[in-house]
Amino acid sequence: MKLRAELAIKCATHESQTESRNHSIMQYNGSAIVAMVGKNCVAIAADKRLGQQALTVDMDFEKVFRMTDRTFIGLSGLAADVKTVHDTLRMRVNLYKHREERVIEPKTMAHLVSHMLYERRFGPYYIEPIIAGLDKDNKPYICATDLIGCLSLPEDFVVTGTASDNLFGMCESLWEPELEPEDLFETISQALLNAVDRDAMSGWGAVVHIITPDGVITRDIKGRMD
Amino acid sequence: MNFAEMHQPEFAQAPATERHSHGRWEPYVDNGGTSLAIAGSDYVVVASDARQSNGYIINSRYSPKAFQLTNNVILATSGYAADAKRLVEVLEQNSQMYFHKHEKPMSTTATAQMLSNTLYGRRFFPYYVFPILAGLDTEGRGAVFAYDPVGNMERVVYRAFGSAAALVQPFLDSAVGFKNQRNADATRLLDREQALKIAIDAFTGAAERDIHTGDWLDIYIVDGNGVQHQKRELKHD
Amino acid sequence: MDALFAIAGKDFVISVSDTASARSIVRMKKNCDKTYKLSSHTLLAVCGEPGDTANFAEYIQGNVRLYSVRNSQDLSPSETANFIRNELAGSMRSRKPYNVNMLVAGVDQNTGAASLYRIDYLAAMAKVPFAAHGYCAYFVYSVMDHEYTEGLTLEQGFDIVKNCLTALKERFIVDFPDFSIKVISTNGTREYDLAEI
Repeated sequence: MKLRAELAIKCATHESQTESRNHSIMQYNGSAIVAMVGKNCVAIAADKRLGQQALTVDMDFEKVFRMTDRTFIGLSGLAADVKTVHDTLRMRVNLYKHREERVIEPKTMAHLVSHMLYERRFGPYYIEPIIAGLDKDNKPYICATDLIGCLSLPEDFVVTGTASDNLFGMCESLWEPELEPEDLFETISQALLNAVDRDAMSGWGAVVHIITPDGVITRDIKGRMD
Repeated sequence: MNFAEMHQPEFAQAPATERHSHGRWEPYVDNGGTSLAIAGSDYVVVASDARQSNGYIINSRYSPKAFQLTNNVILATSGYAADAKRLVEVLEQNSQMYFHKHEKPMSTTATAQMLSNTLYGRRFFPYYVFPILAGLDTEGRGAVFAYDPVGNMERVVYRAFGSAAALVQPFLDSAVGFKNQRNADATRLLDREQALKIAIDAFTGAAERDIHTGDWLDIYIVDGNGVQHQKRELKHD
Repeated sequence: MDALFAIAGKDFVISVSDTASARSIVRMKKNCDKTYKLSSHTLLAVCGEPGDTANFAEYIQGNVRLYSVRNSQDLSPSETANFIRNELAGSMRSRKPYNVNMLVAGVDQNTGAASLYRIDYLAAMAKVPFAAHGYCAYFVYSVMDHEYTEGLTLEQGFDIVKNCLTALKERFIVDFPDFSIKVISTNGTREYDLAEI
């Protein structure tokens, strides 16, 4: 995990200069996104802050987007690329719909995103997306990728953003298998709220989407505004 | 690996990274590991993992970083293990001196203040340690004191420090501090079994995700009857 | 060192920008307008690298007007903002990116709703009730946070602007010669004198 910054000791790292510069790009705007699998449902939640380093610029910034009826994508990282990737992806998903005459499956979309990102291997979009949705058999699907499109497909939960460490700690202790939609909502909300309260770069309210076979429940949740 | 070996710290060669190759002497190493403490109405629970690492190398799978300073005071550390060891020696010596001088053991609050003074005494070459001091106060209530490496001190109800602090602290906020729970009484203190369970759950989660935390969990429970110690298994990978 | 901020109401946006043009420690001009009229109901305010700001803003102005001429229809504020963001995002990954921060203020002529978009030099865009750029942001954001109410009147908006300018005068070491205050409403764009508000 991260070295603690409390003590101003200059710890030399193995990171090359490019890597450490990318690191600060990923932290520039701040974000926290999490997705969880439940019983025949999935949930995806994100904070609402847009910042420029320590300065909060917007408290109602969208980071989770509904790409199809039951597939959502959450984009953390550089806010400019969040918008660029969302716009491009929306175009690609619509093109898919018209060409194939069917709605894209979450798994297919994950691979589409992965390809989109790897296309920019040596000049990446500075975002780490997570995808959550239900497939045609109502089976929950979640996945995360890094900024160059390396997919990771866990069966419980995925997290991303500046509060990812905090989210890992929360999810690891709160999540349990086979949660019903309402319990899943409570779990993901608690995980997100408590995670962002210990991260200075994210928070300022949150939004939760619960995707069930019957439809999507979207709730804005109140949180600390500091 | 047999049990006897496990008690012997295994010292491995530090990886030949750029950190050392420029010939500049680095006085500090981050040995990873995590500690936490939870205070109750008449007890305090302290938990520390026992892994000691240096980068991707594990120096030891059982190298405790929580120490019993006096009859009813526990010091849980994280950061640089050598500094932690030295700090504990200094504190033990001084509390022994106090005991012989005043013919009574040092109180928890006095030990807490002494720790702050000791740390600040090295303001310009600090002990790279993030201490959590736990014991019972003069009223018999659980007391937890958290410090930064230069002696900034705060009495708290619960605190996690170390490589998995970012994972554990939000969980404690939720489970011990009842944060973000509208109908909960935020001043309520947990009973001992709940606190113990939460401490274990926190470390199970931390060991799952943090590579510097794991192997064994040292738990100290301090109450009116004294100190009780137990050792539990965590993930070894 | 430019000061640039704006406040949006239900059917108007107040845009405030300083009028100084500086180079190093020298003030070259005292009455420089940093806003660009994109259409009758859309205004673009810019700050950042001096050459880039004018060049990029004029490029945008030209293309937005070209669209209007070609299609006999103005772009709405949101369309304008998205177009600008897209151009800037493209430039960000070019050999020489533009270094321009922008505020796009406008009133949608179909719905009558006012909107304000904040775009920074990295091409991060947000639709916001109020916005600021540069060092002045550190002073005026707190004032706007404190005093902004949803659906405020133009007079209330002017009061916030006055308090923002007071804060800048009191605490910011840079002394601005003058401010250009423009209001975009359903009636179009009007400039206000500092004494008028």
